[in-house]
Amino acid sequence: MSTYAVNYLCRELLRDHAFRAAMKADPAVALTLLDLTDDECKALLAGDVGTLFRMGVNGFLMGYLARFEVCGLNVGNYNERMRAVKVDEIGQPVS
Amino acid sequence: MAQIVAGFGVPHTPVFPFFVKRDGPDCEIAKLFGAQRQELAAARPDLIVMFDTDHLNTFFLNDLPIFAVGIDKTFKAPNDEPREVPNYTVKSLPGLAAHIRAAAVGAGYDIGMTQNFSVDHSVTVPLHFLTPEMQVPVIPFFISGHLPPLPSAQRCYALGQTIARAIASWPENLRVVIMGSGSFSLEVGGPRMAPGRSDGVPDPDWAMRVIKSMEEAQIERLIGEATEHQLLKAGNVGGELLNWIAMLGAIGNRKPNYIAPQMQNGHAYGVWRWN
Repeated sequence: MSTYAVNYLCRELLRDHAFRAAMKADPAVALTLLDLTDDECKALLAGDVGTLFRMGVNGFLMGYLARFEVCGLNVGNYNERMRAVKVDEIGQPVS
Repeated sequence: MAQIVAGFGVPHTPVFPFFVKRDGPDCEIAKLFGAQRQELAAARPDLIVMFDTDHLNTFFLNDLPIFAVGIDKTFKAPNDEPREVPNYTVKSLPGLAAHIRAAAVGAGYDIGMTQNFSVDHSVTVPLHFLTPEMQVPVIPFFISGHLPPLPSAQRCYALGQTIARAIASWPENLRVVIMGSGSFSLEVGGPRMAPGRSDGVPDPDWAMRVIKSMEEAQIERLIGEATEHQLLKAGNVGGELLNWIAMLGAIGNRKPNYIAPQMQNGHAYGVWRWN
């Protein structure tokens, strides 16, 4: 599954300090190391966590993007973008 | 023979150690964990078996068991950098951990295992507050409570009963405390966060119903209501309740000494101590 690569990179932000530094320095370069689709790459570089969540990426793991402030994200704008996603009673995205 | 002498339900919010360092020993978190620490000391445990949900740190999406037990002489904690938490080496009892696994597999549960492992804040934060010298060995037992499909509440309760029988059949004289780690209602990093925060409590009414059922020892009611739909409705980590339910299965259907809610976090601090 392609979203696996996005979930994986979120966790690597936590575990791999060199990757974390590379993502903070130039995410467009760092992301070339991963097997991402064009849509995933575009959404990541835009900090569009809402789109990524609708694609099936794990919300808990994406929190690391805000925690480590990569792709222009921080706790504030991450919160706003994620809360803008419409979800059903059990937290699944609805169109 | 080994005997279970107490049960504890604990939160594991990763930022709590930072808050306590910042706010001092009189803050609410320090007092609530402090009270549990006294109760735990009074229980004189030789071992803690902790039901826990790993946050994709010990395991990941490439290898995710529904149930698993950590089997080694020691393990490292934490592996996810919670603020103001030192790096600990925690002792364990691999012989008993393997015995628990074998007994549970024999009873029909397919239990994975991990060796040479580390654990995240969900095991470490409670230990940081309750046994900071890490003098008590710990066996972590992992229940997949975040990513559906979740194991059923009934199965987790029965698993706890099975593990209690395994402990009771261990020939060594050990006083064993069972812990369940986690929240009743919490969303972390998902769309149901509270404004401006990194988390939120989507279903506080459910959290209060959980506490009421536990206070009244209405375990059948709790199990009946704790459907997968309800756990997911309670937040993306709402399934952590399964760790408390497994703990209740292990200690038997008893009324608690107390359960102290912390509703702004959708969790509580519970103590069941009878021996």
